[in-house]
Amino acid sequence: MKKSKAKVAFFDFTDCEGCQLQIVNLNTVLLDILEHIEIVNFREAMSEPRDDYDIAVIEGSISTEHDIKRITGIRKQAKVVIALGACATIGGVNAIKNRTPLNISLMRVYKDKADKFKTIAVKPIDQVIKVDYYIHGCPVHPNEVAEVFKCLLLGKKYDVPNYPVCVECKMNENVCLYQKEQNCMGPVTRAGCNSWCVNNGNICYGCRGLIDNPANDAQNDILANYGLDVNEIIDKFTLYTAVEKKYVKEIKE
Amino acid sequence: MERYAKISKKDFNRWLESLEDHGKLYGPKKKDGRHVFRPIKDVKELDLNYISTILPPKKYYFPQKERLLKFKIKPFKTAKAIRKFEEFVLFGVHTCDIAGIQCMDVVFRQEPLDANYINRKDRMTTVGIECLTPCDKYANCVSMGNHVPKGGYDIMLTDVGNKYIIHINSAKAESILRQRSYIKKCISADRYLLDAVRKKKEKIFKEEFIGRLTELYAVFSKLYDSEIWKDVGKRCVGCGNCTAVCPTCYCFDVLDEVSLNLNDGLRYRLWNSCQMDDFAKVAGGEDFRPGRSARQRHRYYRKFKYPIDKFSRYFCTGCGRCSRTCMAEINLTETVNSLIREHRNVSIGI
Ligand code: SF4
Ligand code: SF4
Ligand code: SF4
Repeated sequence: MKKSKAKVAFFDFTDCEGCQLQIVNLNTVLLDILEHIEIVNFREAMSEPRDDYDIAVIEGSISTEHDIKRITGIRKQAKVVIALGACATIGGVNAIKNRTPLNISLMRVYKDKADKFKTIAVKPIDQVIKVDYYIHGCPVHPNEVAEVFKCLLLGKKYDVPNYPVCVECKMNENVCLYQKEQNCMGPVTRAGCNSWCVNNGNICYGCRGLIDNPANDAQNDILANYGLDVNEIIDKFTLYTAVEKKYVKEIKE
Repeated sequence: MERYAKISKKDFNRWLESLEDHGKLYGPKKKDGRHVFRPIKDVKELDLNYISTILPPKKYYFPQKERLLKFKIKPFKTAKAIRKFEEFVLFGVHTCDIAGIQCMDVVFRQEPLDANYINRKDRMTTVGIECLTPCDKYANCVSMGNHVPKGGYDIMLTDVGNKYIIHINSAKAESILRQRSYIKKCISADRYLLDAVRKKKEKIFKEEFIGRLTELYAVFSKLYDSEIWKDVGKRCVGCGNCTAVCPTCYCFDVLDEVSLNLNDGLRYRLWNSCQMDDFAKVAGGEDFRPGRSARQRHRYYRKFKYPIDKFSRYFCTGCGRCSRTCMAEINLTETVNSLIREHRNVSIGI
């Protein structure tokens, strides 16, 4: 008898849905994964959703009280929760909102209708529910998505690298951006993307979040050495990681 | 064959093209204003006038990510991951990087022998190129004694104007030189040219360290607890670039990857280094070498103290890559010189 397939549902919260699109972009790899799982709910790729899932793949950050209720409900049903993409894993770009007091953020965006929108400070989903697997990145990297699904299906833990992007960048033998008089968040950003951006001529923006024990002082010194002022450094540090408030505070002091 | 031969520059590309029969050709090529070792498809891409490549040639005998083992889960089975290693010619290697190859050899040829390394290395023909001018402010090859050829290669080329003098150092070397009419015997005038080049080098290559290697050994024996390590650790961002680019760093991690059929897998080794936060962590979370100061100190001790005790060999080649690549501007020559200074001050009681 064939083992019944695990049922997977995709959910989105505050985000751009780009990471779900990356799942669709997996092409043939997705077909291989579908040998082992059944997708029962995926707004971007199917029209008749069902609610009998065991595995919840959650994209997006939490930014309203309603989000909290909804995600808590999902966690109750799901045996396994996967956080998909930077918004879900670290708060993502939309957490920039947290850098200013909430009422000012609301005024900026909604003007005179500000009081009609009940939003809260942006949170990555693990500030509300327990997360079993993290797939970092903005957007997620197809190889890592496949790797996490493999680990899930084999019932083992996925070890997210705890070393910086520079390690992968050097293995790819890129010319370091600092040697080209540019700056880069690679030294403090969690690897796992195979230095995707730098390989393609871009800088690392830190979309995978900070490594566990980043050398913030040394990184500040380096950025300052390359001519960035305090505000520019804060912008660099908080484009993706505004949730990790303590770093912003450290830099200001 | 004699130990020395020569080739005129006009015949040089002809020789390069003829190397095709001896395996794949790898050599220095331009990339983004720097140089990297890459496969040479058209001999015109080869650029022998270069400052050390971003990664040393170690990537060819100790690749970044290398397959070690194939396995199946059900029924459990293992097999060699690589059946056949290929012959290749590593062309245009600086003398510092040849010293790096010698260091790796010492390590990987210890028992238990490292089969993958030896398989690759034994299929490699090394053609060196002698540097005639110092690279830049980062290299410390003179202090390490690696700015002149000291063996470890099959062939060494020295540019003496309109021709290269070829030092033939192995039987392999003979096989890539013989039956080529344009490779000629050296006459005494050629040896004279070679001597003149070496004399001229003595004048322009200056020692970078303010002390000799023997003094350095004493310095490292005494200054384990120096404040200098604290300062280096404070500036270090922990990116790991210095160890990745070092021709004598050989640490790796081992990991398994299973394919999407969830049954066939490959075991790999992947470069890893003492600069990583988790490197010295063991089960239970205990970290034997916490903090960037201790980690940086360890890197230096792995070049200037431990290998001397273990292998009677300095494991810094002087290539300067670690200093060149460090965005925190931690400079090996400066660190070593401050240690020597501190040691001298302590000795005379300042
Ligand atoms: S380019 Fe960025 S990621 Fe690459 S080595 Fe330099 S700082 Fe690190
Ligand atoms: S390259 Fe520099 S900043 Fe990076 S780990 Fe080495 S010493 Fe530290
Ligand atoms: S320690 Fe630095 S200079 Fe010495 S061999 Fe390694 S990279 Fe080259």
